[in-house]
Amino acid sequence: MAQPRILVLIAMAGVGLAACGGTSTGGAAANKPDKVQIAAEGPFTGDEASIGAGALQAIQLAVKDFNKAGGVNGTQVTLLVWDDQHSAQVAQTLQAQGISDPTVLGIVGPMNSGVVLGSVQGLQSATPPLPFVSESASNVKVTDSGNSVAHRVNARDDAQGPADAKFMIDQGAKKVYVMDAKSDYSTGLADQTQAYLASHNIPYQRDQAKAGQKDFSTTITKIKAFGADWVYFADEGPEAAPFVSQMKQSGLTIGQNIQFLGTDGEEDSSIITTSQGAYDGAYATNITADPAGVSGSAAAAYVTAFKAEYGPDSVSKAGPFYGSAYEAAQALLQAIKNSPVNNGKISRADVISHLASDTFTTIFGSVKFDAKGDVTGGGIYVYKATGSSMVVVKQVSG
Amino acid sequence: MDYFLQNFPQQLVNGLEAGSLYALIALGYTLIYGILEMLNFAHGDVYMVGAFLAAGVAGVFVHNEVAAVPAGLAVALMMVLAMGGAGLLGVGIERVAYRPLRNANRLAPLITAIGVSLFLESAVQVWVSPAPVLVPSNALVPQTVFHLGNVVTPLTGVMLFVVAVALMVALDAFVFRTRFGSAMRATAQDREAATFMGIDVDRVIMVTFFLASALAGMGGVLFGLRYASVDFFMGYLLGIKAFTAAVIGGIGNIRGAMVGGLLLGVLESLVGGFISSQFQDSFVFLALITVLLIRPQGLFGQPLADRA
Repeated sequence: MAQPRILVLIAMAGVGLAACGGTSTGGAAANKPDKVQIAAEGPFTGDEASIGAGALQAIQLAVKDFNKAGGVNGTQVTLLVWDDQHSAQVAQTLQAQGISDPTVLGIVGPMNSGVVLGSVQGLQSATPPLPFVSESASNVKVTDSGNSVAHRVNARDDAQGPADAKFMIDQGAKKVYVMDAKSDYSTGLADQTQAYLASHNIPYQRDQAKAGQKDFSTTITKIKAFGADWVYFADEGPEAAPFVSQMKQSGLTIGQNIQFLGTDGEEDSSIITTSQGAYDGAYATNITADPAGVSGSAAAAYVTAFKAEYGPDSVSKAGPFYGSAYEAAQALLQAIKNSPVNNGKISRADVISHLASDTFTTIFGSVKFDAKGDVTGGGIYVYKATGSSMVVVKQVSG
Repeated sequence: MDYFLQNFPQQLVNGLEAGSLYALIALGYTLIYGILEMLNFAHGDVYMVGAFLAAGVAGVFVHNEVAAVPAGLAVALMMVLAMGGAGLLGVGIERVAYRPLRNANRLAPLITAIGVSLFLESAVQVWVSPAPVLVPSNALVPQTVFHLGNVVTPLTGVMLFVVAVALMVALDAFVFRTRFGSAMRATAQDREAATFMGIDVDRVIMVTFFLASALAGMGGVLFGLRYASVDFFMGYLLGIKAFTAAVIGGIGNIRGAMVGGLLLGVLESLVGGFISSQFQDSFVFLALITVLLIRPQGLFGQPLADRA
């Protein structure tokens, strides 16, 4: 019923735009799109604002920098902010407005694997499909489901899980307590890690935390009873601080009689503060690079620019994905810029084909996506909580 | 079996700690239900606001280096402000959201209660913090850890249990031994008859809301000191669990709420410890359904008499 009416509207808009294009005065202006919008999507508020808020700042900065450099042939890019609050339902509602507006050319995000898995079908079946570049969704199914819209600049669970397990074994792990936080991301990752441990005959016990859990006494009793020397916790972040503080209160001190390896969301120096120091000495791996921790002048310049924009202590509060979010935004914006402009319009289909074919220049160097939309050569980085910051101790290539 | 015997005492202690918090919040549900026969679903969020008030006070004294104040005094201030603030919030909620509906359809106050609950959560999320907020407990209470055999528990855990039990005993004495307590019980039994006896029913209801909410505020303080982290969503699941505890004990029955809370905490800890953490929450609600099916008046409840 609604379909023909929408088509008519689009057709009318097209006629209008064509008319505009016709009246504008020649030359470069013919290549100037009338309107370009992209969306930033992630958990900018809610239980995972700790990873989302910094990523949003990064995307806003990326769009600002891109516009300052001339935008898309002179047209300034408008950024829509879609706060999905880590909920696939909210995400679908937000994406619906982008799907129906042909000037929305792509999404930076969504960040959480669970949200991506709940959205990808809707984005793929839109006419035309709406592409996205995620800065943090690592579940293998994100790009394995055979769609053209999904891209990500971060490494995958099947690279991270084995890398995590191998790191623990290399450090001498004898018995590992493997935990996830009941989300698509953390369960998928913990499964990968557990499988690698099992194949190397390392005894493990599997357990789950709940989103927002604060009381870990039951779990800690089980860790002690199992006699673990390593705790592995795949988590987006907010549960780590109360968990490690209670471990310390119960006599499990990280770096002394227990080792701790967290993932992604736990590569966050604010956990050292919020755990009142109990996190000191813990390791965490990240599927993206921290611009402050890698060599390269572009990354260093970005850190300086970020601090100039948001204040000197902003980087320490920006969470683990403020680098990859900027990187993802750069890739999407460059793909849009490389796409042809016809009658003042850029089509999403062209953006998708440029995302697939082009090589992008980012703060972390050149970036290219493979046929599935995964970044080629994505790295896993191991960090250690030292003093008041997370310090890179090792890079394991993906 | 060896595994069970070795770990049972520790899991029991874990459960008693969690359970005393459930009991403290369950008391609020049961007090208000006893008087008004309404479920105050905003109660869990009153507890959350109390926890944030405590975190705020703690933050002022610890972060801003107003360190001239000894830690003991800071903790006392946290308790007074959180209990007082939560108490007043409870009274305010009653005045704004429930009193105008006192003679309305019974569903109406239930719906406003859910509305108030959502409002409080969103207000704290937007105006205070969407991310968890640290309660600097290390700087406020000694980090002593008690060892008893192979059972380990920090001072803050013992505090949680002791203070909660002390408050429950005090509340019990207040309701059953004082003149105002008998006024409360009279109001619970028959509001109209109580009015005829010269009891100021509005005042009784206000005081009941204050007491219930102040207990929740204290729950927030104890929680903050024990777990060092508070967030805007913490009242939701805890509120539902406390409600379950109140129903298990017999809603409207004060001693029932205390026993129900402790029982729920212990059972939950044992399920998590010996069956699976995955089933912890489902178990709580399974218990709720079982009690409602088999003994709807709860363990201590006598159907529609002797409430409060």
